[in-house]
Parts: sequence; structure tokens; C-alpha cells
Amino acid sequence: METLQFALRKLLYSIPLLFGVTFISFFLMVYHGPDLTYTILGKNPTPEQIAEVHRDLGYDQPFLKRYFLFLKEIITFDFGSSISSGEKVSSILKKSVPVSFMVALPAFILSNALGIILALYAANHRGKKNDKIIMVMAAGGMSVSFLMVVIAFQIMFCTSYGLVDWFPVQGWISPPPNYPDATTGEILYYYWYYYWSHVTVPTLASVFVALGYNTRFFRAVIVEELNKDYVRTARAYGVSNRKIMIKHVLKNAMIPISTRIIITIPFVIIAGNLVVEKFFGIPGVGLVTYDAITNGDLPIVKAVVTSTAVLYVIALILTDIVYKMIDPRTSYNQ
Amino acid sequence: MSESTSKPVLSIQDLVVEFKTEAGLIRALDGVSFEVQEGEALGIVGESGCGKSVTALSILKLIPSPPGRIAGGSIELDGVDVVAQPDDEMRKVRGQLASMIFQEPMTALNPVFTIGNQMVEIIRVHQKVSKAVAKKQAIEMLRTVNIESPEQRIDQYPHELSGGMRQRVMIAMALSCSPKLLIADEPTTALDVTVQAQVMEEISRLQREMNMGLILITHDLGVIAESCTRVVVMYCGKIIEMAETEELFRNPRHPYTRGLLDSIPRIREKKLETLPIIEGMVPDLANLPKGCRFADRCPKAEDHCRENEPPLEDTESGGKVACFIPN
Ligand SMILES: Nc1ncnc2c1ncn2[C@@H]1O[C@H](COP(=O)(O)OP(=O)(O)O)[C@@H](O)[C@H]1O
Ligand code: SF4
Ligand SMILES: [Mg+2]
Repeated sequence: METLQFALRKLLYSIPLLFGVTFISFFLMVYHGPDLTYTILGKNPTPEQIAEVHRDLGYDQPFLKRYFLFLKEIITFDFGSSISSGEKVSSILKKSVPVSFMVALPAFILSNALGIILALYAANHRGKKNDKIIMVMAAGGMSVSFLMVVIAFQIMFCTSYGLVDWFPVQGWISPPPNYPDATTGEILYYYWYYYWSHVTVPTLASVFVALGYNTRFFRAVIVEELNKDYVRTARAYGVSNRKIMIKHVLKNAMIPISTRIIITIPFVIIAGNLVVEKFFGIPGVGLVTYDAITNGDLPIVKAVVTSTAVLYVIALILTDIVYKMIDPRTSYNQ
Repeated sequence: MSESTSKPVLSIQDLVVEFKTEAGLIRALDGVSFEVQEGEALGIVGESGCGKSVTALSILKLIPSPPGRIAGGSIELDGVDVVAQPDDEMRKVRGQLASMIFQEPMTALNPVFTIGNQMVEIIRVHQKVSKAVAKKQAIEMLRTVNIESPEQRIDQYPHELSGGMRQRVMIAMALSCSPKLLIADEPTTALDVTVQAQVMEEISRLQREMNMGLILITHDLGVIAESCTRVVVMYCGKIIEMAETEELFRNPRHPYTRGLLDSIPRIREKKLETLPIIEGMVPDLANLPKGCRFADRCPKAEDHCRENEPPLEDTESGGKVACFIPN
């Protein structure tokens, strides 16, 4: 209950922030974005034609009015229809967001969980050989470009030139073939099988790239905690190293770590998957956005950028809530 | 030296502790030897950086390594050879045989766990008891250190307690397994002047009641006068004087001790952070002078002092002093 009140209050406080974020999005995309007049009219239109199209598109309206129309689009989540396919933007997103989520989830969990485990291990052996090995590998992982990793992993796992030719290079789960007597189990197996066959290599590539960043960040946080006085106190009273790491240090370290993890969620779901979805041909928001940007499909770009911004604000609120759940020093009434 | 009837709970011989620093290898402790008898209260004084905390941490083998290491000498804690002890064996000693109170009650407790959680954990490290039993013991211990309504306090977080209260909690934790030796490293330095005396009284009372050995580390000789029977004076990683408290106050032999005694009123006014206790700079451990380490600040220094290091020698009054020209 306290948490809910706190969340609502935070949401209320973040209204100015939401206005700011939407205003900047509006200003950059709608006011300075592509002008559709010439796309519609082609070259050499007459001034009368231009004026007419401007009126149709609402370009002749005053700035504030256009901004409020944009706000209305956000609140109703009705950004109109895609210019290239004519499909409603909301229905495009309804299809693609869950796909992106499914693609990103395993990598998101693995890169954070493995990152924490590696960071705990490295921090526990800080200055020693294994710590150095982990840190060098992390730096290595960070310095390789994502694109290179994707291509290398595709060659390694998806072609006969690589290590194993187990996975398709591109594509996504298609609806199961319609056997009239297929059992639920068989259908579930079908989804399970195709899900992993399409998601494994993207996951490996994403984890490879994210793990270095995560491990370095998490290790720095944990090492900082290890130098705190309470660690020395626990040690002085005979608490085991294992318990110091897993109980005392980890809970304190989770304050900054969870903040970082939550903040990355909007990008992971919406924008972050651009490269993965493009190169693995997965029909998620990343691919939709990629195509929309290359085609100048403004309604889709508007929807994606705005949703990312709004999700970001929500993530910020979430970090505050988690922060307060972990840290008793901050109360809900602040 | 000491009374033949009592046996030492702690015996340190020629202890050398080194740290790898950017300025090179430094000796934070250079041949420190002393004993603490059962039930005895020993004070260690000296300016900041002279090696008091390093001494305390060595006893529990808590020197951060790297960069530090015990490079020589021996520490015997109630029959346990601390230097040779592997770390997981040392764990049983810590909190059980010897326990420690730290200077910073603000940061020495884990901020995200209740004091009850932390006390129960420590009790259960050393005793095979259920959580409920351990919690009862913890509440009793809080009562022992005069914390009011311990049943409520135990479920509070450290930030909900005052500094003095937190230090009492630390004492309760340190004593929860009835150690034979309590090491208090500047237990009142960070506290308000008004609660300093109360906390110190608490420590002394418990020390007597539980018949523990006590090492009280402070840079305030005034505190030692009230609670310790014997004093060790340290300077630059060495013991430079050791005597019965009364004797030390009546007749300090080392010029440095004399200076410390003269500075008590100033320490009491809490001006220590801004004023050095004694004129002049403490030499850098990475760059020690050849002769007496105190020579640069000593009013009595002679050429001989700058060339040779004075050894720690017995005095006729039963103490020890490291000075060529003692009082
Ligand atoms: N963790 C450390 N790393 C490097 N040097 C240290 C460390 N801890 C202590 N020292 C060295 O040991 C000296 C004595 O420190 P300490 O025992 O903490 O002094 P104090 O008497 O004020 O408690 C310091 O001056 C410092 O040079
Ligand atoms: S040995 Fe000399 S310099 Fe050192 S304290 Fe004694 S008199 Fe001073
Ligand atoms: Mg100290």
C-alpha cells in the first residue's frame, strides 16, 4: 500500500518530466522531421497544391496546437497508420513488442545474472590472477563491435563454415502447421523448439557484448562495498567470507546494480534490439523501427521514440521504488 | 616484568607488519612486543598513523592483504598461534576469543540489515543455537549494555539509532560471545563529548564484570588514565615507552610521552584535528630517519640520537623506554 502510494506520487511528480520528454520528441521529430509535402506531391508542385497538402496534414496549425494534437496521440496511443503499409501503428506495435521482449529476455537475464556472479567472483579475488583474467576478458568483450560479434556468431553457429550448423541464420517462429490431431503438448513443443532455435544465437551474441560492460560495472560497485567498514566489522566477528559476499555486500551492492538493470529495460525492449532484429530477421520493434527510419515512416518513429521516453520515465520511478525496498535509510515519505 | 600469578591472554613478540604502497614497502609495525594479562586493561596511545589500528587488526589477523602482510614476529592469543593460523580457523577465534569495537559507529554496522539480524548472525557463527534463542541472547546483551527497550531496538536499523547507541550495539555485538580479550580501537573518538564518558564507563564496567583483557586504543591519554592499568606508547610503528599508568603519568620517561601528557587539555577541547599534538611532523614511514624517529621533534635531541636508534630498554621502575636521554 505504501509502495503504491509512493509510486503514484512519483508518477505525479514525473508529469513535468513527461511533458519535457514529449516536448523534445515533438520538437525534434514533428517539427524538424521529414516534410511529407514533397513525398506526396513529387517535384515542382504549385503553391496552391502545397497549401492544400499543408492544410490536410495540419502543418498550417499553430505550434502549440500541433503539440497538443501530438499529446493526444500519445495519450490515446493512436499514432495513425504506417505510411508504407497503411497498417495501424498500434497494431504493428502490439505484434512486435512481445516478439522483441521474447528475444531480449534470455540475454537480459543471462547478461545480468552472469555479470553479477562473475563480478562477485572477481571482486572476491581482486588483484589476483583470476580477477585479472576476468577483467581482461571483459575489456576484450567490450572492445569488439556488436556487428562483428553478430556476424561471427552467425558464421560459427549457423553455417557449415563454422563450428556447428545448428541454427537458422534468420527468421522467427511461424504459426504451427495445421495438423488436425496435434496435441497441446505437440504444439507447445513446436513453439519451444522454434523459439530456442531462433533465439539462441542472438542471445549468445548479446550476452557476449553486454557481459563485459555489466561485469566491469558490477565489480566496481562490489569492490567499493568491500572496502566499507561494515565488511571489516563482520569479518572481525567471525562471519564467513561467503556470507559477507552473498549477504552483506551483495544486498548493499544491489542498490546501484538494480538501478542500472532497470534503467536498461526500455532500451532493451524497444530500441536496443535494432541490430539483433535486423541481422537475424526477427520481426520485433527493432526491425520495425529500423525499417521506419530508413523509409521515413514518421508515425512509427514517433510512436517508438515516445514510448521509449515514457518507458524510461516509468523505469526511473521503478528504480526509486526498488531502491527504497532495499535501502531502509530512505523512507517512502521523502 | 608482569606478575607471575597471572597468565597472558595475548602475547605479541617482535611483530613486523608491512604494506606495499606507491611510495614503496613500508613497515607500519617494526618489532612490536607486549603482553596483556587475563582481565588486564592495557592502553595504547600515539598520534594518528603510528600503527595502533594495524596492531589491533593484526591480533585478529585482519590486516588487508594485499597490500599488507605480517612479515615477522609472533602473536599468541590464548594459546592460539595467530600468524600460523589459516583464515577459516581464525574465523572461530574472531568474536569468540578476541573481539573488537571500531571507531566509526556510523559506518561499522551494515546499513541494510537490522541490528538484530546482525547480532543473531554473529551469535550463530559461534554457537549452535536457533535463531529464536540467539535473538533472546541478543536482547539480553543489549540490556547488558544499558540499551533501553531492547525488544524494540533490536528490530531497528543502524540509522535509526544515535551514535552513542550504535556504539553500545557494537559493544553488545563484540561481547555477545564472551571473548577473553576485547580490543577497542578509539571507541569514543567519533562520539559527542557528552556520550564519550558514558560509553567508556560501559566498556570499563563490562571489562571488570566479565574479567576480560582489554586493549584500549586512543590518542587521548586522559581516557586511559581512567580505565587502564598499563600503557603502551607508540611512535612511527614502534613502542617507545611502556609503564604502569600511574607511573607514566607521574614520571613520563620519553620526551614524546611528556609531550602527549602536556597535550591532554587540548585534546579534550577537540582541537586535535587542527593542531598537532606536538610541534613538528611525524616522519614518513617510507622515508624514515636513520637514528631516533622522534629526533626531529625532540627538544632534547643530540647528534648521537640522529645517528643511532635507541633500543627499548627496561627502566628501574619496571617499565620500558626507548630513549638515550630519558627523564
Ligand atoms: N590499508 C593500508 N594500506 C597501506 N598502508 C596502510 C594501510 N593501513 C595502514 N597503513 C599504514 O600503516 C600506518 C599506521 O596506520 P594505523 O595503524 O591505521 O594508524 P593509527 O595509529 O592511526 O591507527 C599508516 O600510517 C599507513 O602508512
Ligand atoms: S633518543 Fe634522543 S632524540 Fe630520541 S627521544 Fe630520546 S632524546 Fe629525543
Ligand atoms: Mg586508527
